[in-house]
Amino acid sequence: MPDSNSAGSPEVGRPYRARGLWVNLVRLGVIGGFFLLWEIASGRWIEPFLISSPSRVFTSLIDNIQSGTLMEHSWVTFKEIGIGFPLGALSGIATGYLFGRSRTLAEIFEPIIMAIYGIPRTALAPLFIVWLGIGIWSKVGVVFLLTFFLNFFNTYAGMKQMDQEYIDLARLMGASKWKLTFRVIFPAVSPYILLGVKTSIPFAVIGAIVGEFIAATEGIGFFIRLSAGVFKTADVFVGIIVLMFMVIVMNKIADLVERRVLQWQTQTEHVQIQG
Amino acid sequence: MKQPAPESGSEPIAAAAHRPATSRNNVVIEVERVSKTFETPRQGKVVALEDITIDVSYGEFVTVVGPSGCGKSTLLRMIAGLTPLSAGKILYQGEPVRGLNTKVGYVPQESKLFPWLTLEENVGFGLDPRRYSRKEREDRTHNFIKLAGLEGFEKHYPSQLSGGMAKRASIIRALVYEPAVILMDEPFGPLDAQTRMILQDELLKIWEQKRQTIVFVTHDLVEAVALADRVAIVTHRPGRIKDILKVPMDRPRNIFEIHRQKGFDEAYGRLWNIFRHELKIRLDQGQSLDSQTLSR
Repeated sequence: MPDSNSAGSPEVGRPYRARGLWVNLVRLGVIGGFFLLWEIASGRWIEPFLISSPSRVFTSLIDNIQSGTLMEHSWVTFKEIGIGFPLGALSGIATGYLFGRSRTLAEIFEPIIMAIYGIPRTALAPLFIVWLGIGIWSKVGVVFLLTFFLNFFNTYAGMKQMDQEYIDLARLMGASKWKLTFRVIFPAVSPYILLGVKTSIPFAVIGAIVGEFIAATEGIGFFIRLSAGVFKTADVFVGIIVLMFMVIVMNKIADLVERRVLQWQTQTEHVQIQG
Repeated sequence: MKQPAPESGSEPIAAAAHRPATSRNNVVIEVERVSKTFETPRQGKVVALEDITIDVSYGEFVTVVGPSGCGKSTLLRMIAGLTPLSAGKILYQGEPVRGLNTKVGYVPQESKLFPWLTLEENVGFGLDPRRYSRKEREDRTHNFIKLAGLEGFEKHYPSQLSGGMAKRASIIRALVYEPAVILMDEPFGPLDAQTRMILQDELLKIWEQKRQTIVFVTHDLVEAVALADRVAIVTHRPGRIKDILKVPMDRPRNIFEIHRQKGFDEAYGRLWNIFRHELKIRLDQGQSLDSQTLSR
């Protein structure tokens, strides 16, 4: 099939690739420079217990991995997010869907939801500790709360802006309720849903950590707070690295899902034949 | 989402008794004294359609022509059960249209293919798995894709198709499950002149094979005459049926040289006469012509 773009691309492509390489190099340089400066500053200009240093962080990362402490705490936080996040996301999506489908439901509950949304939700975290104890369930609750709203709002926004004509057409073509929901409505709203899921990922981690800061006996948040309390700054950074890693992995998974679900959106640059 | 029944006070049986005895038996759609009033925040009540009466027979190709905004699309939506009536009634195969009329096929103004489904999934969407086996669904989808000249694009998404291709797909999506009636709402409106002619030609060829009933809305007088057995002329606000013209042209027709075909000039002339009269009235009323005819 003829592809009009391929003809002129080598000439345009090379400087482009060179530029990409250049950008990557500079970025690496900035990161490397930062770590170098950090390493140099530590102990010379600034006390190590305040900022630690890359080499100390690395050593304590290895130590904590070897002793198994890190795995233990990570596993707890992972469980809290692993339960709270999917539950929050799914119920947020389901509620957004229901509100989009039923005007009455939306009219009754929208102000209530908006009022709850107005509360800084992390302020509710201590309550969850009171209700659900200091184990993982109170953190699951906070994670759920933080993810629910973002997913709800995005799904609901998607439902509201969705082209009604698609629904009309599908129903005219005799689509069953199931088919209408899963072959028409959800795909149509999927870009919004995925946006909600992706924006809520860091908030899920925040929820777990905040919960663990307040009251916990294990978890990365607990580990960070404990380490900071005894000025083991390197361990604090180790905890932060684990959290970063969690967010990155979750984002990657979300990206993969997005690419798969939204492949109809990205494949625009193919053949365009007139007529 | 349930729509109010189009029927108001009068009982169907009583109404049937009033119908003239000459009523044809092969009538598929009966629109009887239908009106539609919209409530708008700015202009108050707007009468979109007033006292519309028209019958459509099985296998007939009827075009509805009128200026933009005259309510001709609303008429289609009412036949499809998408928009409730304000007055009058619509019978489909003798039954009043209540709620959604899933027995019609609908081709909207824009192609409105589902962007998340491939071409073949789009075309096969209306094939109910309870009525057709998997094999039948595949065969039908394939046959219609072939009929529309879209082979090789089965796995493409709508975003990868040209406007003309998407339009073809949109039409065969409505044809594939063979509803008795296809409603088309200015389907060729946004296309360029050549593509338009090609698609008109293809539509007629498919129609001559399948002979499904088509109600086709357009604002293009040439198109209205070229395709139709009968042309219903709808006036501008309030939308009324000014006249229904028979087009005495032979079939099959040659869309590309439709002007030379016997009967075209006469039919077009009559249609234009009515429209000229319409335009004159509107001009005399001091309404700006271009804002209305060019608004689409």
